[in-house]
Amino acid sequence: MAEAFMAYPQLRNPFAAKPIHPEGSATVLYQGKSITVSSLGQGDGLLIDPADLTQINGFVLKAEGACYEDLCVPITEDVLVEQDGRQWFSLTAFAELLGQPFVADHEAGVWSFAEIPAKRENMMLNAQAPDFEVTDRTGSVIRMADLKGKKALIVTWSSW
Amino acid sequence: MPVWQRIYEEINDPNFVIICAAEDTGGEAAAGPIFDAANPTYIQVVDENHLISSAFNFVNVPSAAWIDETGQIVRIDEGTYSMIHSFGEGEQAISFGTDVYEPALKDWVAKGADSEHVQSAETVANNIRQHSSDQQKADAAFRLGNLFRMHGQQAKADQYWEMARALNPDSVNFIRQNLTLTEEGSAGETFREMMGEYISAGRDYYRPLDIKA
Repeated sequence: MAEAFMAYPQLRNPFAAKPIHPEGSATVLYQGKSITVSSLGQGDGLLIDPADLTQINGFVLKAEGACYEDLCVPITEDVLVEQDGRQWFSLTAFAELLGQPFVADHEAGVWSFAEIPAKRENMMLNAQAPDFEVTDRTGSVIRMADLKGKKALIVTWSSW
Repeated sequence: MPVWQRIYEEINDPNFVIICAAEDTGGEAAAGPIFDAANPTYIQVVDENHLISSAFNFVNVPSAAWIDETGQIVRIDEGTYSMIHSFGEGEQAISFGTDVYEPALKDWVAKGADSEHVQSAETVANNIRQHSSDQQKADAAFRLGNLFRMHGQQAKADQYWEMARALNPDSVNFIRQNLTLTEEGSAGETFREMMGEYISAGRDYYRPLDIKA
């Protein structure tokens, strides 16, 4: 470790090349989670089995739309798509509906989604702490909700 | 890190927590030994994907948020130095940091909403950096680069780290994280050039610390 120069070139590419997911699957990144989905519809967008929606972004499909806590988004026909008699949920069309930015590497079959703006309105307008979920060095999952009832200093630093 | 531990021990309040997040894509190999040397008892996170910075729209380290018992943010996004750091001698001497943050933090933990250092929701909301759609997209690109790194696909990692930097040029985190994983390191010529551009463009390297001495 070359701490004085804040240089760790040996850590740039320390891992052996390996597949990100099995052939025919896709990987979705959202809020630090990496989720592999194996049921995929056809097309340029990311069409997933509606049953996979909740594990990806917490939304639940209800009669009134896709819902997360108090937020319900009416679903448009480009979000729920039918192909060969089977229904698919277009995560990319849903993201566009929500104004949620994303980056896709079609060659690798990986979609990386940014935060959902509507989930963050309470922070941006009312200074309410945002939802986050991180894992500490002991392996415990730390969520914003776990901190209720305590004062918290959340501070970033880096080795660099 | 040892200074935060000392502060944490001195505050010694069971209803106060410190979450210290290392924004380090290099993971445990980079941040772990530094944490270990401080023998911390606060919550330690090695945040390879910079999720904490993303959640609070931070663009540099060290940055922090104070969150009260109800989940309200009462201060945010300041150059969060726990002490004044000094290096070198004579004309080469440099120092940075502050000695006013620690007493302000202790005052807040002791007095809560009565602390003079608590800011209103309106002030805090104004102090949260507004990130454009492209800047939010930069977070997604950075994480995509990290995924490729973890799978040994460095060319693609480089591609998406560069995309993140282009989409969010305000992020000191993205450029220095990338430089850290090179021979040059995060404080070399490229960083100094970036600093010059940053300052001449009138950007905040850190938000000015609004605490009276």
